[in-house]
Formats: sequence, C-alpha cells, structure tokens
Amino acid sequence: MILKEIAELLESGKSKATKELVQKAIDEGVDPQDILKEGLLGGMSSIGEKFKKNEVFVPEVLMAARAMNQSIELLKPLLAEAGVESVGKVCIGTVQGDLHDIGKNLVKMMLEGKGFEVIDLGTDVAPETFVNAAIENNCDIICCSALLTTTMHVMEDVVKAAEAAGIHDRVKIMIGGAPVNEEFCKQIGADGYTVDAASAADMALTFVQ
Amino acid sequence: MNISKFLWDAAKAEPRQGLPILSFPAAQKLGVDVEQLVKTSELQAKAMEVIAKETDILTAIGLMDLSVEAEAFGAEVKFSKNEIPAIVGQLVSDEKEAEALQIPSLEAGRIGVCVEGIRQAKERITDKPLLAGTIGPFSLAGRLMDVTEIMYICYDEPETVHIVLEKATEFLIQYGAAMKAAGADGIMMAEPLAGILNPEMAEEFSVPYVKRIIDALQDENFGIVYHNCGNAVPRMLDSIFSQNAVAYHFGNAVKMDEILAAAPADALCMGNVDPASQFAQGTPESIRAATKELLEKCGKYKNFIPSSGCDIPAHSSWDTINAFFEALKD
Repeated sequence: MILKEIAELLESGKSKATKELVQKAIDEGVDPQDILKEGLLGGMSSIGEKFKKNEVFVPEVLMAARAMNQSIELLKPLLAEAGVESVGKVCIGTVQGDLHDIGKNLVKMMLEGKGFEVIDLGTDVAPETFVNAAIENNCDIICCSALLTTTMHVMEDVVKAAEAAGIHDRVKIMIGGAPVNEEFCKQIGADGYTVDAASAADMALTFVQ
Repeated sequence: MNISKFLWDAAKAEPRQGLPILSFPAAQKLGVDVEQLVKTSELQAKAMEVIAKETDILTAIGLMDLSVEAEAFGAEVKFSKNEIPAIVGQLVSDEKEAEALQIPSLEAGRIGVCVEGIRQAKERITDKPLLAGTIGPFSLAGRLMDVTEIMYICYDEPETVHIVLEKATEFLIQYGAAMKAAGADGIMMAEPLAGILNPEMAEEFSVPYVKRIIDALQDENFGIVYHNCGNAVPRMLDSIFSQNAVAYHFGNAVKMDEILAAAPADALCMGNVDPASQFAQGTPESIRAATKELLEKCGKYKNFIPSSGCDIPAHSSWDTINAFFEALKD
C-alpha cells in the first residue's frame, strides 16, 4: 500500500511528501529494492505512459523526476549495501554546436526512471567526448540529442567515432530531437530513434535486457 | 492597412497563398551569414525585401530571432554563422533576481537594429504588408530563467515567474509599439515555450500576458499573429483563441485538420508543413507532396492559410522552398 502511495505522490510531483514517505517505508523495513522498483520507478513509469499519450506534459514529468531524484538519495546507500546495481549505464548529451537541452533533460529523467545510471555530458558535446565517456564509464548506450537541422549531422560523427574506437558493437547509439526521424537513424547507422522521451527509455531498456 | 481583412481575404481566395515563417534563408540570396544578418539593420531589410519580391509569400516577414529580447534584458547570446542565435545561461533564478531585473530601453542590445531593419524594410516593400517577428512573454521569461528551470520555478515560486512575466510583457509592449511606429503592419509573436506547458499552466503563465500585449498593440491597422508550435496546443485551444489575435499559427507537432475542425470559424489559422523534415531536409518532390496533402485535408476551411510549422532553417534549399509555393498554385 505504501509503495502505491509513493508512486502516486511521485506522479503528482510532490518531492517533499514523496521523500517523507520513502523514509517512512525505509523505517518500516520495506525492502529498498521494492521501494525503488514499485514506488519510485513505478510512479515514473506511469507518468511516462501518460506523457506518451499527451495526458501529462513536460512540467509534470520534470516535477515527478525531481521527486524521484530527491527520494532516491535516501535509497542509494541501502541499495549499494544490498549490492543492487543499475539496469545499465547511459551517457547522454546534446551534440556539438547545439545548446538546447530540455529534450535531453527529459530523456535523462525518463532513463533514470527506468533504473539507468545516466552520465549527463551537457550540451555542445563533441563526438569524441561521447565516445570517451562511454569507454571511461563502461556505458551500454550513448544518447544524442539535437534540435537543429544544422547539428543533427553531428550524430553521424558520433556513430563514426564509436566505430573508429571499436565500441559500436557493444555500445548502442540512440538519437532523438525535433529534426531527426527513423529514416535518418538508419541512414547514419545509429541503433535507435524514438519520437518521445518516454519511448526512448523503453527502447533503452530493450537494449540492456 | 487592415491586416486582419487582408489575411481573411487571402484565406478565402483561390489559389491559396502561403505565409511560411521564411526569413533566414534570405542569407543565401544575399551572400551573407546568419550572424551578419542578425546584427545589421540594412541586411535585415534586404532579407525581408528579397523574400517578399522573389516569392509568393503573402506578407513580408521579419527575422524570427528569439534571442533579441532576452539579450536586451542582459542574457548572454551565442552567435553562429549558420544558426539563429541562442541564449545561454540563466539570468534570473530567484525572487531577488526577478525583482532586480530591469526593463531594458529600446536601445539595449540589438533592439534598435531590428526596429531600424523594419523601418528600412517598410520603405523597400510597398506591395505587401509587413509582419515583424518578436518572442512571446512566457518564451522570453523562459530564456531569462532557463527553459528547464522555469518549469520548476512555476511550481515552487510562481510569484517569481509572474514578476519576470510582468517585466517581459511591459517590454514586449514597448518593443511592439516601436515596431508599429517603424511601419510594421503587425507582429508574428512566437510563444513556443507555452506549447509544452499543461493547459492550466499556460492559462496562468502565458495567456493573460499574451492577451495584455495584444490588447495594448492591436488595432484596425496593426495585428498580432500568435505562434505556438507545441504539442500541448490541442488541449488549450479555447484559451489560445480567447487571446483575440488576428490569426493563430501552429506547428507540425499538431494535426492541422484537427485544429481546424476544433477552431471556431472566425479564428484564422495557419500551419504547418514540417520545417525540418520538409523545408530543410526534404526535396522539391517531397515538399510538394506534403503541401498537397495539407491542402487536401485543410483546403476546405476558409479560415486557413498554408504555412510552415515553424521558422524555416537558414540553410534550407531554395528549390525546396520554391516548390512549397508552386504546390499552392497547382
């Protein structure tokens, strides 16, 4: 019951109340892994589905993600103690020449909502920075975002850099943003494109399962 | 000129005339880069003129450079030779900074450059009305407060956002009045950030301020075209149409035929051929097909003017742009 309440509070974006209830669940001896999976990630999964259907919008997703991030801090030491690992590692950034970040931020939050560890490289990220970050952090996936038609082509350079570094066979490359589509994804040799942030997180999960 | 009547007459006429948000590709025709264009009045005037004269665009249209207003407030701008300028950083993060924010003068940043560009364009273009381009109030506040951070602040400290919106609105009224005095027949006001809000938030943080700008500036000879290219638009149509703009411009995140089906017959709507996949990356054949499809679905509405879904990227091929206009004539 308390896990359902956590999920509902998270969905409504109430950070303080979510955090308090997570603490209560911990104090009551609820398994931290259940709090994470059924409470926090359950709430994020639900809001992700609503986002895909245009039932909620960007602000609700951001608020829910903030509630998750604040609450998860309480769980981190307990999860580490129990040897619980993230479902996978992703490095994410907006490609070189492009300073737009709200789309990238949304995908990052949705990925965290699926249990990924996400390394945020920020905006204006060079192809080699994506690749180096993926190698250094042993990432499963590189996520590239672009809003501009003049910068989307940098995504192809990321794919080429990953191939040159010999990591593309083990690191998937996902792309997203207003100017890109499935056709462009295939054309540049990337591994996945989705139309929205929630679907990106779903696809990422399929790459690590 | 009565811009409202002009646009309504065009919407009812056959063949359809388009009003795409077409300004930056003029840089190709002038042999200059985007940075030069956004910093020079004369080039801006020439850009509006070359498009007005060499295409069948319904009205001349000013540059949709949505960094100008935030720059005037003191925000940092990153210029590029190939892309429209972008705002970086966060100028206002809390109530104290919001209170301290000064409404800039019309000499700040490149405001004077843009107003002078409109004045010169009006002298050069005598056969078409001229719409200046400005940002909308919530989108300006987002650039001052960071587009992600403002979403949190809307929840945590809504009064802080309202302080910034009050100042943004006051400035946009002054800027719009300057454009009007310089000879513009109206303004295309871009409010894209409101399009990702939920309807309740748009009702609180955008609509009243847009309405205030429209009420202050709009008259028989000067009209506001409201642009919102967000995907949340279908959920907020009633409040959008309550703003009393002379026309409403929508992006390719929505289905134009569904918008028109929901719109009252006295709301003039424009949209929405994809600027990225068609104007920038498409071919003459693909944009012709996309434009014809749009006309097939929306041509029956007499409150519709075909357009791009948003600002057309600077590097878009002129063959493709011309094919959009040709498709309207067929």
